[in-house]
Amino acid sequence: MILVFGGAYQGKTDYALQEFGAETVCDISEAGEPDFSKDIVTGIEGFVLRCIEQGIEPAEYFASRQSKWKDSILIVTDVSQGVVPIDSKVRAAREANGRLMIYLAKEADQVHRVFCGIGKRIK
Amino acid sequence: MNVLISGGCKNGKSMYAQQIASELATCGPLYYIATMIPHDEEDRARIRRHLKEREGWGFETLEQGRNIAALIDKADVDLKGSFLLDSVTAVLENEMFPVALKNGHIEFLGEDEDAPERVRRDLVAFASAVKEAGGSVVFVSDGIYGDKGGYSSSTEHYRRALADADRALARVCDRVIEVTYRITEEWK
Repeated sequence: MILVFGGAYQGKTDYALQEFGAETVCDISEAGEPDFSKDIVTGIEGFVLRCIEQGIEPAEYFASRQSKWKDSILIVTDVSQGVVPIDSKVRAAREANGRLMIYLAKEADQVHRVFCGIGKRIK
Repeated sequence: MNVLISGGCKNGKSMYAQQIASELATCGPLYYIATMIPHDEEDRARIRRHLKEREGWGFETLEQGRNIAALIDKADVDLKGSFLLDSVTAVLENEMFPVALKNGHIEFLGEDEDAPERVRRDLVAFASAVKEAGGSVVFVSDGIYGDKGGYSSSTEHYRRALADADRALARVCDRVIEVTYRITEEWK
């Protein structure tokens, strides 16, 4: 698995498509569950928020499906900076996003960070 | 040589950008493109502070808060110079959210939806023209993408537009540098 992360609007998916020759994308930022048959699963931070609304811990969701994404490219927006959100649900999602990223970064064969459209391998 | 510098607020980007711009001023003047359009006393105080920080560096100030590409054809601007544009963030704000002063009050004129593409095109055109003439531009932008987001629609439009401008500049710049608490990371 390859983990790609970076801030919002940084060109993470474009980078993954080019860098890894990926072709199919499952975007779950607004709705839906991950479809790991696609090369790339992106917008995972949006899925994290919906998990929290349903009382699911996203890191556990991924841990119990490891065999399905072991060859995937997973893209998560880094939402860890800035002011702590005032909305408790958003706050919980932001923390869960961090826990998920720590888990995925540990499991990943490669981790890449994207900044201004430029990617850098950091693991 | 064109350089894009970004990173969080109050991380030392401006001071680092001043150093790079002055090192690049080898065959022409050293210019500071002042992008802030003052509207009140708070703005004027900030500008006085910035002017003081630049004292003794030899910068010639060009007032250009919007329409950056207009600098290309200005008779008294030497494109072989070294330009410091601080900041992309301010230029985009000035163009996306124009204001007017009415009876001493700031009046917002609404979001200009054409501004993101126009600003991006202007910045890239300016970078290309200066590079072609043998000069250099150091662009300073702001990394405002690492938080939870979910702002009002006009703020999200602005975040996306600034990211798009940064990415377009990153493509045409020779160096892309992230500054974190005065520690620099070379991305390109």
